[in-house]
Amino acid sequence: MKIVLNDAPYEFAGETLKDLLTQLDKSEQGIAIAINQQVVPKSLWRSTELNELSQVFIFESIAGG
Amino acid sequence: MSSLFIAGHEFHSRLFTGTGKYASADAMMASLAASGSELVTLSLRRMDLKNQTDNILLPLQQHGMKLLPNTSGARTAKEAVFAAELAREALETSWVKLEIHPDPRYLMPDGMETLLAAEELIKKGFVVMPYVHADPVLCKRLEEVGCQCVMPLGSPIGSNMGLASRPFLEIIIEQSTVPVIIDAGIGAPSDAALAMEIGADAVLVNTAMAVAKQPAQMGKAFRLAVEAGRMAYESGLGERRVQAQATSPLTDFLGALS
Repeated sequence: MKIVLNDAPYEFAGETLKDLLTQLDKSEQGIAIAINQQVVPKSLWRSTELNELSQVFIFESIAGG
Repeated sequence: MSSLFIAGHEFHSRLFTGTGKYASADAMMASLAASGSELVTLSLRRMDLKNQTDNILLPLQQHGMKLLPNTSGARTAKEAVFAAELAREALETSWVKLEIHPDPRYLMPDGMETLLAAEELIKKGFVVMPYVHADPVLCKRLEEVGCQCVMPLGSPIGSNMGLASRPFLEIIIEQSTVPVIIDAGIGAPSDAALAMEIGADAVLVNTAMAVAKQPAQMGKAFRLAVEAGRMAYESGLGERRVQAQATSPLTDFLGALS
């Protein structure tokens, strides 16, 4: 299915947010996810299913002052 | 030297540090370790999906640093609240350095948006550390809505201009019942020492340490300066006077020669 990930179309093969991270090969450390401008707590990543309307933003922590 | 408490958390070091602008993660860790800092700031950004980002989180956590995410990039209260909520999830901390600057050229903090965001974040259970102008009225308002400290600027971010706002910082320090952390513009250890001597509870330093030719040595220089300044403040500095005051007794034995 096609989702929108960080403002770009993205072909997603799984079902949940957890699957998305697996597909992206990204660690869960230091990241946060929002769907349609709502922050999704880490405890819900496994059970949160994505659909074609999902606008997903993934954020990561980086160096800063 | 006394400890600093913010929201019940004890800090032995009064030097808070940023993690930006270092040439490498190794240089950053060497500098931070030498500085003795126990609180470091981090930012959030949209994940780079194509490249793997340097993992600086792990070494910071292994070193036992307390992490302070900032809301850098937020231009409004709404964006800052969203950034703080993301940061709470990403770094598993309810502490946040609230910074809102709508103008990328001077990076001046927006006091009105900051106050609005602070109120909302405090209701949501955050420990809010607001980065603001050296504005005594605003700092008092932030304290009244429940901020656990205030972080007025010494001069513009990254400018190395030191405590250009000193007269206002002194008013803030005199009035505040929450810790005052001087952030931004501290370009040299002497600036940090001066900040501590005038009674700041802590300073936050980033650029001056990160861009030094020897970041580790500069980290140590800032540690020593902050400790010296704080010790001097706690010891009690003498008053400035216009006229000389003799340190030796003024005897008149020379008069006997004439």
